[in-house]
Amino acid sequence: MTPQGAKQARAGDDFAIQTFNLTRKFNSLVAVDGIDLNIKRGELFALLGPNGAGKTTTINMLCCLLKPTSGTAQVLGYDILKQPFKIKETIGVSPQETVISEHLNPRENLALIGKIHGIDSTELKIKAQELLVIMGLESRAKDQVRKFSGGMKRRLNVAMALIHNPRVLFLDEPSLGLDPQARRAVWEYIIKLKKEMTILLTTHYMDEADFLADRIAIIDEGKIVALGTSAKLKKGIVEKQTMVIQAQSFTQKVINEMRSRYEEVEVTEEDRMVISDKKLVFQEIVDLLHNSGTIVSSASMKEPTLDDVFLHITGKELRE
Amino acid sequence: MRLLALASRNLKETYRDPVALGFLLGFPLVFMMLFGAIFSGEETPNYAIGVIDEDNTPMSQAFVDEALAQVPVLEVSAYDDTATALKDLKFGDLKAYIVIPPGFGQQVNSNWQGDKADIVLNITYDESDLQVSEQIITTINAATRAFARIEIPVTIDAEPIHIETEIDYMDFIGPGIIVFGILIIIPTAARTMVSDKEKGMLARLLTTPTRPIDFILGYSVGLVLLAAAQIIIIMVATWLFGLNMTGNPFLAFFVFLLTSMCCIGIGMVVASLTKTENQAEPLCWLFAMPLAALSGCWFSIELMPSYLRTFANVFPFAHTVEASRAILIRGVGLEAISYDFFFLVGWAVAIFVIGVILFRRSMRS
Repeated sequence: MTPQGAKQARAGDDFAIQTFNLTRKFNSLVAVDGIDLNIKRGELFALLGPNGAGKTTTINMLCCLLKPTSGTAQVLGYDILKQPFKIKETIGVSPQETVISEHLNPRENLALIGKIHGIDSTELKIKAQELLVIMGLESRAKDQVRKFSGGMKRRLNVAMALIHNPRVLFLDEPSLGLDPQARRAVWEYIIKLKKEMTILLTTHYMDEADFLADRIAIIDEGKIVALGTSAKLKKGIVEKQTMVIQAQSFTQKVINEMRSRYEEVEVTEEDRMVISDKKLVFQEIVDLLHNSGTIVSSASMKEPTLDDVFLHITGKELRE
Repeated sequence: MRLLALASRNLKETYRDPVALGFLLGFPLVFMMLFGAIFSGEETPNYAIGVIDEDNTPMSQAFVDEALAQVPVLEVSAYDDTATALKDLKFGDLKAYIVIPPGFGQQVNSNWQGDKADIVLNITYDESDLQVSEQIITTINAATRAFARIEIPVTIDAEPIHIETEIDYMDFIGPGIIVFGILIIIPTAARTMVSDKEKGMLARLLTTPTRPIDFILGYSVGLVLLAAAQIIIIMVATWLFGLNMTGNPFLAFFVFLLTSMCCIGIGMVVASLTKTENQAEPLCWLFAMPLAALSGCWFSIELMPSYLRTFANVFPFAHTVEASRAILIRGVGLEAISYDFFFLVGWAVAIFVIGVILFRRSMRS
């Protein structure tokens, strides 16, 4: 191996998933448009974007379900086009739709995937039990899953991706349709897995990406439009600071005073004022209002969200 | 390991589904009970038929006295000429009359000696009651075939002739009901495979190291086991309802099992050509119902026009009905049904190969 080749191989070793100009077209529709990603080993990476942005198509190509129109990708150094079965041995997939065998009980569903991956039966029993407890399904372990609620099925869907201890885990919208409590339980379990495996998660929930991911790629119309940590992405768009004040009422005199000092002042519902400017000093504004006789009931600086990031970059709301 | 895991899952998915199981077992059993109640009760209908024996040989006499006379639903009277028989038919005293033409005895003899010769009987019947005339023709047909093909010593004078005395409608319809039950494997197989495709189970399992052949064998093994259980249950039920199993039931079981493999193959083809259960289900019935009608399940295919008979013989089911009736009713062995048997083997292999190729292609897409 040449020194150059060895250097590339070492670089490749650091990454669990790499995509090289990965593209997928469906007739004239370009679902994934030349994506280049480098996801580190042990990283929890989120693909955040609205429905139809190309998240699932990307995952389907990485899971070797769908062939790219052009470009390629590697998972743990194996090429998706040349070594699909090597990849399939090492990955776990929780698809966007809940896909389970309705007439089997959860233990049997877990055993099905475990046996397909050649897990020995003792290990399978221990791991299945552990997952059933974590996902809160232990008490219903012997019931056919067709009798389960949507949330329970969803949790089993995620558990089935984990039964064989995959080295790379693909979670396609893992908390879709879960109630807040179940969602939190799944999130906590995903966080525990972070150190054990590389996770690629797709979501259209910005709070999910914000809470779980080490790095986030924002995807829109098949293209990666922003990539970085949540903090870095938010920081990148902060051109103005925003403060929201709730008061009993604002006199016209106070409103005029504020408008003369700050770039944007908007009063909504008579008792709510939103002030935006390049730099805002919280105490200064509160004092100004207090001195003018305004009774302030609450005041806060508004932090930017990933939705703001998406809006800033694409000019549209994340959930459009 | 993978194959067994998939086969076991497919088996459980079907036998734990009350609707699928109801279809697979309930449907043919309901038919059986219906036919059993209609034709096995105490109030067995009695149809008066006349016989004009123009052959007038010991063989034709034996046919009248022992084969026809002992069929429970027939009341046989001898006539000297067709004019009198026709008069009685018109007056309603007869439901049908048979003319045994000269040469009949010769033809039966040839059959017994292994030469396939056509057995010709002229039947004139009262067509005003379609159901009754159908049953009479079917029964006479079955009795004649039993008589002509039975394996006994050639010289009738030397041995007393043993005739199947219990050729009744249940004997005729029993194998047909079993074949009809097996035909239900077509929608069952297609539904199992298409449902996995439609609901994403196939895609999910394709993200595992499972190879396409594992899926195909997993489906097939599960379905063959299910079919074997179904065949045993329906065979036992037909026996309880009065089917006289003269021949080897294991050979008959094997013939039925081969047929069920043909059905799984057809189901696989349908599953490859469709994307949803809603598409697959009607397409399967579109196959299954005409194939049932053409198989001779309900009425003898000998009564069909020749072009339909030729068409029916392209498919395995007429061969199954023919072979299983020969085994169960006439008590013949593998040699006597070898053509039908190997036709079924060939069909099962061919449709499986086509099914596997198409299903693999549909998985890739």
